[in-house]
Amino acid sequence: MSDLREAPLRILVVEDEVLIALELECLLEDLGHVSVGVAGSSTEAIALGHRTAPDVALVDIHLIDGPTGVEVARQLSRDPRTTVVFMTANAKRIPPDFAGALGVIAKPYSERVVASALDYVAQCRAGRTPSTEGLDGFSLAPSAQAALADRVQ
Amino acid sequence: MVVTDPRGGDNPIVWVNGAFLALTGYSRDELYGRNCRLLQGPLTDAAVLQTMRETLAAGQPFEGEVFNYRKDGTPFLNGMTINPVRDAAGKVLFFFSAQADMTDKYRLETAMRHANDALERQVGQRTADLQSALEQKTALLHEVDHRVKNNLQVISSLMLLKARRTPAGEAREALQSMADRIGALSTAHRMLYPEGDVTCFDFKEFTDDLIADLAAGLDGDRTRIETEIEALALSAAMAAPLALLIHELATNALRHAFPEERRGRIVVEAKRCEAGMRLVIEDDGVGLKAAPPNPAGFGHTLVEMVVRQLRGTLDWSDAGPGTRIVITIPLSAAGAS
Repeated sequence: MSDLREAPLRILVVEDEVLIALELECLLEDLGHVSVGVAGSSTEAIALGHRTAPDVALVDIHLIDGPTGVEVARQLSRDPRTTVVFMTANAKRIPPDFAGALGVIAKPYSERVVASALDYVAQCRAGRTPSTEGLDGFSLAPSAQAALADRVQ
Repeated sequence: MVVTDPRGGDNPIVWVNGAFLALTGYSRDELYGRNCRLLQGPLTDAAVLQTMRETLAAGQPFEGEVFNYRKDGTPFLNGMTINPVRDAAGKVLFFFSAQADMTDKYRLETAMRHANDALERQVGQRTADLQSALEQKTALLHEVDHRVKNNLQVISSLMLLKARRTPAGEAREALQSMADRIGALSTAHRMLYPEGDVTCFDFKEFTDDLIADLAAGLDGDRTRIETEIEALALSAAMAAPLALLIHELATNALRHAFPEERRGRIVVEAKRCEAGMRLVIEDDGVGLKAAPPNPAGFGHTLVEMVVRQLRGTLDWSDAGPGTRIVITIPLSAAGAS
């Protein structure tokens, strides 16, 4: 965990399994973040995203209306205020460009993985180059890896 | 057999044997004095004839196959060997030609070629069918893998939600520790089938992940967990029991070895040994005498059951200070690579 405690992140949860979504909201709260809402379908997710302009959107690939999470990520990541992170057991469905997302948290995730991934996101948003050490269970998109390599050099 | 006389103008036939008459259906009267081209027809390959003419003009022997026609118009493949016959001065007197009907050989070759083509088409079709069946099975495997992982997440969420709503105490702790065990199983599943290898998993990466999840909740200044794991690829079937085992023993050490703010560290070590794999979980805490394992406890039973399932042996001993648990697990030839 980072010593630099960031301001709480406003997080949109895009997840069709209500139990996972509910528990994830509790976990986010425990970690000191704020949930701006839960969306189970792509239309809901995009609408809620536009309305709330969250700091982070945690996006599952499979939603109520099918494998539409990729399109949700593409739409939400157009807003420069929002960092999209996939959260899925189906990482093979993610396109090579990651649809604008920063990375993917593999399901089933542990609380630690979610905490360290969000910590990483918070530091990126603050313009720092966080360490990728201990980021198992969270994989960066190829573009984010390239950006990281550029900054480290 | 045919003899022709190149000195006689158009290289006429001057002699044939009975076999040639039988092969072509002509009589001697019809052949003598004629050039061999009376046997030619539409199927006759002009290029072969050209080569033949050039070879013979150079006084060289010729071998080749061309289609010729019988008197009744039916074609046959004529395999010819033509040799010049010379006089003492080396001048060509005759051409002596032997024929063989190669039609059957030609038919056989054609039939074989067709059979080969048909077989290759069949093999191609089968391969395409198998490929498509394999793709379907792969898609199914991904689907099932996805569902297993998603369900583990749902089960874990369910337990944690209930734990959050249960007043602090024994029930809440039980729910929380069950959720943690499911978390360990989830790590096992996350590590399986990463890049298509369905038979093995990377034990080092797996244990490091598992322990990192446990260490995340710790006050790093007071207690540390370290791993020293040899690179081992283990059979996928061992992932879930090993996850439960390591989780249980490491959690147990964290819970009982360091009471009253005691500082210390836990080391999880795995190495190959003669019998298979030697797994050691050691702490420098209060030791067995101060915190004897509860043989009736659920954690203790779980550990023993899992070790039995892995056909291993389990030994608790005093590490002075602390407790050392040594587990030896046989690895079959297929179990590790």
